[in-house]
Amino acid sequence: MDTHQAKKDVTVGILALQGAFAEHQVALQKLSCQKKVVIVLVRVADDLARCDALIIPGGESTTIALLARLAGLLEPLRLFLKKKPVWGTCAGAILLAQAVENTKKGGQELLGGMSVTVARNGWGSQVESFEAPLLVDGLRDPDQSFTGVFIRAPVVLSLSPSPEDPPLEIIARLPAGLLPRSQTLVSPDEDDTDPRDPRTIVAIRQGRHMLTTFHPELTKDSRFHEYFVRACVLPSLSP
Amino acid sequence: MSTPVSTTPSAPPAANGPSGTAAVPPRSSQRDGGNSSLGTFGVKSGLAQMLKGGVIMDVVNAEQARIAEEAGACAVMALERVPADIRAEGGVSRMSDPAMIKSIVDAVTIPVMAKVRIGHFVEAQILQSIGIDYIDESEVLTPADEEHHINKHNFKVPFVCGARNLGEALRRISEGAAFIRTKGEAGTGNVVEAVRHQRSVMSEIRKASVMNEEELYAYAKDIQAPFHLLKEAARLKRLPVVNFAAGGIATPADAALMMQLGCDGVFVGSGIFHSGDPAKRARAIVQAVTHFNNPKVLAEVSEDLGAPMVGLTIDSNLKGGRLASRGW
Repeated sequence: MDTHQAKKDVTVGILALQGAFAEHQVALQKLSCQKKVVIVLVRVADDLARCDALIIPGGESTTIALLARLAGLLEPLRLFLKKKPVWGTCAGAILLAQAVENTKKGGQELLGGMSVTVARNGWGSQVESFEAPLLVDGLRDPDQSFTGVFIRAPVVLSLSPSPEDPPLEIIARLPAGLLPRSQTLVSPDEDDTDPRDPRTIVAIRQGRHMLTTFHPELTKDSRFHEYFVRACVLPSLSP
Repeated sequence: MSTPVSTTPSAPPAANGPSGTAAVPPRSSQRDGGNSSLGTFGVKSGLAQMLKGGVIMDVVNAEQARIAEEAGACAVMALERVPADIRAEGGVSRMSDPAMIKSIVDAVTIPVMAKVRIGHFVEAQILQSIGIDYIDESEVLTPADEEHHINKHNFKVPFVCGARNLGEALRRISEGAAFIRTKGEAGTGNVVEAVRHQRSVMSEIRKASVMNEEELYAYAKDIQAPFHLLKEAARLKRLPVVNFAAGGIATPADAALMMQLGCDGVFVGSGIFHSGDPAKRARAIVQAVTHFNNPKVLAEVSEDLGAPMVGLTIDSNLKGGRLASRGW
């Protein structure tokens, strides 16, 4: 990998320890953008060293964190986050958060990188998993809704930006009134239609990092992948 | 047979997930005024996609479930007796006590699955009502119906089913299964049947993938599979849903073997908690599934695992009989 080639290509890694990494690969292969996207499945630190950006897929965050530790990837990943763009979907979003609630007993290892606090399985068990149409301004064809697939998805509890960090930019929210009533998260008589409620946030950008609590890789719609490459990855390449 | 669940059956899967940019099919809305859709085929098969590259472990109590979670299991299967004990003890084997399943749900954060008898849709209604994440309509339990499987489209909770060959897998998918596993021969610690079933599925798909439509119609009749699902599998060159290995997996090498044969992940039943050092073996199998193509890592994780479970030869004297032949 010499630097001459790196000017024409952009190398996007997908953390391939466990979960839906193959689906991200398919979505990236379909992209057409100004640079050729080279895809690397990241299982060891040497794979990560070749990447200009990284996607952490959905899966089980406890399993992915354990496998990352056993593969000696935790510290390389934390260093990577300080320099290069990373996008986490669902389990990946949990790993990018600075704090997590509803963790397994004894807590869980995180990578950090984004100033948000999330709750795992914020909607409840699998029978509460759902699809919902999202209107997202930053995407190509913003009038066309994006099908958000939420599977035992995490919920954003709070944003805690500090002055040193890049600002948090909310990319997408759930339509009002979709927060589940059955959970302890929202009490039955609480008004959950407040447009500023952090729990309706489902996609956020902070600097070059992005998290989505849903799974764009489970749809055939690659607009979020296109957005990540266009808004986070390509700008990070130029000096 | 009808179940008191209001979701409509979804169309069988297209490619690998929900229907892309197309409008979400109309479904029971979660709340008045809301327009989200619960229990779509997309979220059912989607959870299986999130489990890929992972290990699902059989556990019989909350303590074992915690060991499995710490070892990196991507889900646990809650049951009262592991298959090796079902074989040894005999008798009718049924759905586990909901209180015991709930204690496991409370103990861990990863998805919890539980088994129901083939065709026993009331056991499935019970498990759905306690909020289980996945149901295994399993040949390991004593079948409740010798002709019909559960109509799995009627449920919001997703189902995984066993299959020995392509026809059986596609019949289960047409009934609504969002996830397929090989049957193998559960509780034997002998991987030979799981290998046979996975090789059979893959070889039949390869055969179908070079057929023209006329040949596919004839082949669909031959293997008793719905034509549209056969055509989809032939086009994708794989099953249209996630496909795990199960039945007889006892070592990291067994798990990696099944992955190299094209499985998306593995179930380990008796192999972990019937071995000498369950926590260590569980972790080794988890690593073996991630690094299945890396013999160096496989060698490292296979070292000093203690005694594996005692394996059984699969022949006509097999205690408890052949479980894989259950299912129609």
